[in-house]
Amino acid sequence: MPERHERILDETEAASWVHDGMTIAVGSPAPMMLLRHIIRRGVKNLTVVDSGLSLDLLIAAGCVRKVVSYYAGGGFGVPVAPSFRRAVERGEIEVWECEEGILTTGLQAAAQALPFLPWRGGVGTSLPEINPDLKLMQDPIRGETLIAVPPIKPDLALLHAATADAYGNVQHCGGPGWLDLFLHRAADRTLVQVERIIPNEEVRANPWATTIAGADAIVRAPYGAHPFYSRGCYVQDNAFLRTYVEAATAAQTGKPESLHQYLTYYCREPATHGDYLERVGIKHLLGLYEY
Amino acid sequence: MPSEYSPQELMAIFLARDLQDGDVLRVGVAMPVVEAAVRLAHIMHGPNMELIFLGARMNVAHLDSLPMPAFGWDRRVVRWAESYSDSGHRFDRIKDWGRHVFFIGGVQVDPHGNTNLIGIGPDYHHLRFRGPGSVGTPTLSTHVGRYYIVLNSHSPRIFVERCDYISAYGWGTGGADARQKLGLPGGGPKYCVTPLCVMDFTEDTKHLRLHSTHPGVLAAEVQAQTGFSLATTATPALTSPPSEEELRVLRTRVDLSGMLRRSA
Repeated sequence: MPERHERILDETEAASWVHDGMTIAVGSPAPMMLLRHIIRRGVKNLTVVDSGLSLDLLIAAGCVRKVVSYYAGGGFGVPVAPSFRRAVERGEIEVWECEEGILTTGLQAAAQALPFLPWRGGVGTSLPEINPDLKLMQDPIRGETLIAVPPIKPDLALLHAATADAYGNVQHCGGPGWLDLFLHRAADRTLVQVERIIPNEEVRANPWATTIAGADAIVRAPYGAHPFYSRGCYVQDNAFLRTYVEAATAAQTGKPESLHQYLTYYCREPATHGDYLERVGIKHLLGLYEY
Repeated sequence: MPSEYSPQELMAIFLARDLQDGDVLRVGVAMPVVEAAVRLAHIMHGPNMELIFLGARMNVAHLDSLPMPAFGWDRRVVRWAESYSDSGHRFDRIKDWGRHVFFIGGVQVDPHGNTNLIGIGPDYHHLRFRGPGSVGTPTLSTHVGRYYIVLNSHSPRIFVERCDYISAYGWGTGGADARQKLGLPGGGPKYCVTPLCVMDFTEDTKHLRLHSTHPGVLAAEVQAQTGFSLATTATPALTSPPSEEELRVLRTRVDLSGMLRRSA
């Protein structure tokens, strides 16, 4: 009698799903445990659908060739994510210029296997000029000018959530992450790291709470979103993120030492997530507890 | 004798006065003046306003104070939300955005209120300055009933004859029907607020016009800091200084850490 397949991977197996040249989509909060593995393995030439500082870290580590991003702000007094800014200004990475509505529309087109979906936001702007994949069109019903947004189809969506069972039933805590469901629907495969793996019975006790039905693989990652937040568990580690932003900003102006040090100490040297957490320190982590 | 105040405090108070009870206020990231303004309006005259910080929608008029900043997606923000929607979901009832209000920044603004968050430089593939990206401003500026352009500084580098790139369409190349001709349903930019002045748009050509200078600022000074000719009225007004009550509420119930005073 064949059995139902479990979908749990260990962190190393999971990270090996990411190959050079792939298109990956990164959820929010970012699945930092998986991203650190990508950096450690030195994956190259990724096209990355992401925004903010997790995107910036992947760029800093040299993993990225092209970004699909509507926003790369830095925070902490830095208006633009520093590694993103530097790499784009030097022509080292390509930008698929978009905005939030266009991004979600492209993801929806991919999910629904359509050649495009129309969107109005962006009509009159430079977006269709600087991103030739966005086509201005006359709508055949009312003759209005709209933008035809082609599918944005990631090979792999990498997400972080609170819990999942062994069969890929994911239950975010306090609502799904920013864009997570769009990324999951659009991507060929979805890999979710979770704070805790729960029994299937617990999922069936509250099936309405299941946000993603059938993720392709689940990885256990307690504190795995650090230095970002994980709802139901811990808040964002702003001091830690500020350290990164300062290091990346210094690298922008010809002082790359602290950024190298950050990448080496926190991303490349720790062989496992446990090694990373040891470097951050248990006292520090406990200080981020939600309540 | 009115108290001393910073330009940023005056900007927040000006904006707060212009917000109406019942408005749905959509606030994006990294705009402390706006974050203060919506809270101030909510406390002073807007118990039916809805404040949407990214996707966290709240009515917090009952609280003694609404401290800033409150951004992020973790429980520190979401604890105040009554509902909470993620990107895309929050773009699902665009048909009702006529009563929504939005605030927008930019690295460049042109005479017709078009704004640029993409970057600076004639060659898109070799930008001199790469901006943060359009965020949701193209969609929001297309559809909301009105929006405000709010800037942290006022200089000829920001106010340019022509934006290198347009990420949010204001009034295009001008004219009261510019948006209608493109089929953009929203009402467009109402005011542009800077540390020096408030600007609005001429009714016919939709060209930026000096509406009022902040106390202590001369109209000539504003013009000198603007990279194109501003339209003017016969007698440019003075932005009304904060009342004691407005300053008191702003400082004791909203901007408890003095963020808007420090940035002066």
